[in-house]
Amino acid sequence: MRKKLKEKKNPFSFRFSTTTWVVLLAVFYGSTFQVKATSFTYADTWQQQDQAIEISGTITDDQGLPLPGVNIMEQGTSNGTMTDFDGNYTLSVSSENAVLVYSSLGFESREIVVGTQREIDFEMVASVADLDEVVVVGYGATTKRDVTGAVATISEEEFNQGAITNPLQQISGKAPGVNISQQGSEPGSSPSVRIRGITSLIGGNDPLVVVDGVQGNMDLLNQIPPNEIKSIDILKDASATAVYGSRGAPGVIIVTTKSNKAGTSTFEYSSTASLDVLSNKLDVLNADQWWEQAQRYGVPVSANHGSQTDWYDILTQTGYTQNHTLSFGAGSENFSYRGSVSAILQDGVVINSNNEKYIARLSATQKALDDRLAITMNLNTGILQTSNSIQSIGNAAFTSNLITNSYFMRPTDPVFDTDGSYYTDPNVFEYLNPYAVAQTTVDERENNNLFVSLDADLEVYEGLTVGWFGSWRKTNNTIGFFLPVESTDANAINQDGFANINNSHQDEKLTNVSLTYKNTFGDHKLEALALYEWQQQTYQGNYAQARGFFNNETTYNALQGGDLSDVRTGDISSYKNDRSLVSFLGRLNYTLFNKYLLTLSYRRDGSSVFGENNKWGNFPAASLGWRIDQEDFMQEGIFNQLKLRGGFGITGNQQGLFPQQSLSLVSPGGITYFGGEEIRNFQISQNSNEDLKWERKKQTNIGIDFSLFESRLSGSIDAFTATTDDLLFNYTVPQPPFPYNTIAANVGSIRNRGLEFALSYEVIRTENLSFTMAGNLSLLDNEVLKLSGSINGVDLNTNYIPWGENSFLIEGEAIGTYSILQHEGINNVGTEVVQDINGDGTIDQGTRSPDRVQQGSALPTYNFAINPTVKYKNFDFSMLWRGSGGNKIYNGLRKNMSMMESIGNQNVLQSAVNLDLYTSPYASNLWLEDGDFVRLENVTAGYNLALEDSKYIKSLRLSITGNNLWLITDYSGVDPELNFNGASGFGGDFGIYPRTTSVALGLQVKFK
Amino acid sequence: MKRNYITLIVILVGGFFTSCTNDVEENVYDKYQADEFYATPEGADVALAAVYAQVAGNWNGVGYAGADNGWYDLNSMSADEQVIPHRNDGAWQLDFARLYQHEWLPSDLIVNNTWNWLYQAIFSANLAVEQLENAEAAPTKIAEAKTLRAFFYYLLMDDYGNIPFYTENNVTVEELPQASRQEVFNFIVTELEENIPQLSETKGGEYYGRFNKWAGYALLAKVYLNAEVYTGTAQWQACIDAIEELEIGGFSLHPGAANEGSPLGYQYYELFGDRLPEDETILAMFATANVVSRNIYTLRSFSGPHAQELFGVSGWNGTIVPEAFYNRYDDNDIRKAQFLVGEQPGGVTYTPTVSNLDNPGADPFAGVRNQKFYPATPLDGGGASNDFPIYRYADFMLMKAECYVRLGNAGAAKPLLDEVRQRAGLSTLESDPSLEDIYNERGLELNWEGHRRQDMIRFGTFLEANEFRGVSQEYRTLFPIPTSALDANPNLVQNPGY
Repeated sequence: MRKKLKEKKNPFSFRFSTTTWVVLLAVFYGSTFQVKATSFTYADTWQQQDQAIEISGTITDDQGLPLPGVNIMEQGTSNGTMTDFDGNYTLSVSSENAVLVYSSLGFESREIVVGTQREIDFEMVASVADLDEVVVVGYGATTKRDVTGAVATISEEEFNQGAITNPLQQISGKAPGVNISQQGSEPGSSPSVRIRGITSLIGGNDPLVVVDGVQGNMDLLNQIPPNEIKSIDILKDASATAVYGSRGAPGVIIVTTKSNKAGTSTFEYSSTASLDVLSNKLDVLNADQWWEQAQRYGVPVSANHGSQTDWYDILTQTGYTQNHTLSFGAGSENFSYRGSVSAILQDGVVINSNNEKYIARLSATQKALDDRLAITMNLNTGILQTSNSIQSIGNAAFTSNLITNSYFMRPTDPVFDTDGSYYTDPNVFEYLNPYAVAQTTVDERENNNLFVSLDADLEVYEGLTVGWFGSWRKTNNTIGFFLPVESTDANAINQDGFANINNSHQDEKLTNVSLTYKNTFGDHKLEALALYEWQQQTYQGNYAQARGFFNNETTYNALQGGDLSDVRTGDISSYKNDRSLVSFLGRLNYTLFNKYLLTLSYRRDGSSVFGENNKWGNFPAASLGWRIDQEDFMQEGIFNQLKLRGGFGITGNQQGLFPQQSLSLVSPGGITYFGGEEIRNFQISQNSNEDLKWERKKQTNIGIDFSLFESRLSGSIDAFTATTDDLLFNYTVPQPPFPYNTIAANVGSIRNRGLEFALSYEVIRTENLSFTMAGNLSLLDNEVLKLSGSINGVDLNTNYIPWGENSFLIEGEAIGTYSILQHEGINNVGTEVVQDINGDGTIDQGTRSPDRVQQGSALPTYNFAINPTVKYKNFDFSMLWRGSGGNKIYNGLRKNMSMMESIGNQNVLQSAVNLDLYTSPYASNLWLEDGDFVRLENVTAGYNLALEDSKYIKSLRLSITGNNLWLITDYSGVDPELNFNGASGFGGDFGIYPRTTSVALGLQVKFK
Repeated sequence: MKRNYITLIVILVGGFFTSCTNDVEENVYDKYQADEFYATPEGADVALAAVYAQVAGNWNGVGYAGADNGWYDLNSMSADEQVIPHRNDGAWQLDFARLYQHEWLPSDLIVNNTWNWLYQAIFSANLAVEQLENAEAAPTKIAEAKTLRAFFYYLLMDDYGNIPFYTENNVTVEELPQASRQEVFNFIVTELEENIPQLSETKGGEYYGRFNKWAGYALLAKVYLNAEVYTGTAQWQACIDAIEELEIGGFSLHPGAANEGSPLGYQYYELFGDRLPEDETILAMFATANVVSRNIYTLRSFSGPHAQELFGVSGWNGTIVPEAFYNRYDDNDIRKAQFLVGEQPGGVTYTPTVSNLDNPGADPFAGVRNQKFYPATPLDGGGASNDFPIYRYADFMLMKAECYVRLGNAGAAKPLLDEVRQRAGLSTLESDPSLEDIYNERGLELNWEGHRRQDMIRFGTFLEANEFRGVSQEYRTLFPIPTSALDANPNLVQNPGY
């Protein structure tokens, strides 16, 4: 019984091995495998009318393949049908004057007068300008033609390919102003995304994520299968995001997943497998070099343990990433469904780091009540299991991740002691053997998540729809950690080994009710929305820790096996809090003469996390569009499309506000000795602020969309300015009069101004060959306008706030501006000398010191991507070059590995030998470097095969993708693409998990 | 029909609105709200306990004698009794060596930590006074909180001179004056004279580790002893008077005799053990490793293998005793048992001479080691459970003797000095003591207890040259106001010289 309990019970615990691959491939061509496509008949759907004329036909795409799901309507009536799986259709029309409208997403609509025809077959032409492309704008959708805000839409066809583990990797480099970067390639880690720069200091810069109407934080993106995404829409400017009110300021990422259209049937399998190798590492001294240098600095022979160990090498390996998705679905007139199961399996390049992710999805749509009611339900559930390489370990002198620790190891130290145990040097204070840590530590994370939504739309009157949407989302996280004595970690040794479990649980509920009215009166087109929304999130968790275990067998799974007489402060804790948000939203879209577009929206939000005096906030927005190409004077010309649009809006950001933050609270603070006994100590843990509220961002955007030369050249240009006021910050306040030395308050403002260009040019367009150059560039100018202000009547003269090693928040400068001492040289005893700028004879290290000089910022000022694509017959080839720069990096790791004072107990960089610096009491610009880089991020070559003759297989795609193939940079560290999230300490290099170069093979099979 | 279900929907939607718009109030499940918490007598008591939590402290340079990089290191390593050299095997940063060489900087971590700790302590003392007064707590408790506050101001003024001064937690930074050393001195004296009489007379028990009346007078005596340094006006008689008040509490020297069961084989070392004996200890800092504070001093001194062999945890190979200081001890002195040179368990041999403090640093096993606080259990590599003597009677006997000598009454000083010497196994003095005798005896008796810098300044020896530096500059008798404090409050004036 016990044994059975121990077995992993995992519904998706199949692993795809090479054998499975072979079997699956064999099956494609074999005859034992049968996939039954459901056939649908519509014969009874529409009653025949008097003197009916029956029209039938077959619709194909431009490659001659049958096109299912094409919508065919008799103009001016509700009579219509859809092509079936083989592109066939039959429709009865009332007369020969009837006009049939054929439409399908991604193709130009076509109108055909029936006349004498009884059989109408033709090829649909792929729509070039994609003007009918659906753009999801939040609480609704419009078309690219009608959109007035700055919205980037990236659809499935444009996604980056390769061994994708997170949806964001698919859209990296695809949209200007949307900067997606990943620091290192740690399995399970997610990239960070910043939309139009850093607009908040501590308030959070992560965009809101909306997946089929379910709202959440960035972790929601990690819970959906990348392969099942149809399109991702990114709302960039305030006129677009204002409908999300107090959550809209950092931008919104809207994900639409795939669903099956009526008349289609799907059974697909896609897979990628990639080998990941380390791309770059630091050059440290080898054993002989180290000893030669150590002797120069009088290191005693007792520090040389005579081995030749490559610590970096033994801690790393070749990684392996696989991604498998099996999806199926079908659709009829009244019902459609789609299901999928995905598995993403990763073994990291650092030993014992891996990640497994399994996701199942099911969505179903049902129509009822004479097609007036449409109900859609989505269910998404997943398990994410990660074994981490430790993020932060070390001793008093240096703490970093495990792999960075390996650089510091003396190459003369052995890995194992003579008795077979992990080697430690008793003469080195808190000696850490990183190999022992990697092999003995247990750091396991599991995330179980589920979200469900139900969307019901009822047309109550012509043009008037009542909608109801409800969702809930449950997330359970468990982190188990065990650090045994054998790890050699000082903390573990002191506690005789310790283990802890951290459980957290999150419930998010959301519901909204809406009324939508859509109508056209002659030249006036109107769409109005009124919506009420309620959401509540509850967070709960507990933590327990024990130490001194009898042995290491149970790791963190039996805390009761620890020494229960040794319970310490912080060993047991639990928490619970919640937040709620109530909102009212109104929106009006108005189009005149199909040329002039107007959108107005207004949202009012009330939240429990706002201070008592500021419970409700208002977020209005307005935008205008002018479709110049529709004007008469534009009919003759080179432009296929030309649209001018502009908008203004106010949005909020409340991510940085946590429950209970506006209250003055007392919490337990350890044990103290008082009254002859050890008693619990309590302390005030925060100041109250009844004025606490959302950050307010005002943004103006002007943009132009164009396509010309038969739509061969297309693109858009956007200019914006966004100012965040009421900037949230943990201000340092004098303890008199405040009982706690920081207070979260809304003071100060930041401005971002930017220009965004997206351009695509079809250099070659022939029947067999096409070559498209696409690219985008965004320029960003960031400035901290104001930090000072007044809190509760106390004036704050806040400026020069340290925001990283030598970087600051300075009024009038960009976030993370370096103000740094200037390296002058090294004196005769090997100590660094810096310039005494003001010549007063002393070096002032104060934050406002006149000896400091401003020297750039940690924030990149430009980002770009170049994306050439070639298609030749069935082959396709694409590249993605991506770069950023204009920033400086403080290379703290290089500093830590360049001081010869430490050579006795650590290794140093090769470059330290020539530098010959013994010690430095300063952190100077000697360690400041340019952060510009260009990376060849993705190269994909693919071959598509349509198997018309095969009984079971519709089409096949084989591809090969190389990732991170070439990095061009002057930066001396491992990788200049660091954490650019804008939070305190961003843009500095203190050691990262390495970035990999990978080669991935991909297979995609569509079955019949 | 249509109208009917529109009406229905309107009713449903309306119902939602009214039920949900009141939902934006905050719910608190897992914490106490401050106003309610301190409004009870129990809460007020907790406020007082929170101030004592500041005395003990822990890592990050917090506390009187808690762990690394705080008040204790600042006041001990700038003197002549201990230092952590940088080692030529790469160990230890140079901050400690800079202290010993009188080259500390306003940006140094230790200078900064000490300041931050003391102002946190002042804040919680102010808060406790306010809470206790609001709760109309017993006068003895209010007096205790005020005495604690005076204690922290005394430490601040002793190290930094002219300092920001406030007693109520409701002034703005502009209104926060930088008081002169004289003003702070006056405040401390007045506050103590007013409040000490109200303190409890209980020794030990629930007053172990707390300011009772006797600890209050001990503090007052310390302030008067150094009055000349602080204000230019000596107060030797006032110091004697305060010591005589504390003697009413009934203190005596703890025996020094050899005793197998005692640490290092002498009863004397019980004064530095787990529970400090009540006969001599006036004020103790309580420590239990990993629960309340810790005592790191012996582990920080011993080398890795040495401590591993004796205590089962690795030593830090840090603090050494300068050879000249070690050489002052007579071989018959039981207090010499605290020092270790030569071959030790764990296969290490300590050599007494340290040739270099910074570049290239000392050899790994160079330097005399100290085990005055012989580790008490529970202990681990992070520290032991020895309590720390803030004030003990031997100190005050020597202070009294010093005042007598300074007032020209060396005869009255001799028996006091003799008693301390005799306990240590030394002979009595042959003649009446000189100031130098007292200075030396204070060094021998009170080393590693955090008094040395103050004593050296009072006796005028602080700036004298030593083996690792020349004569130091006058301004080094005060520490600089830390850079970060100047950054936060531009109104502050830095001490001269920095």
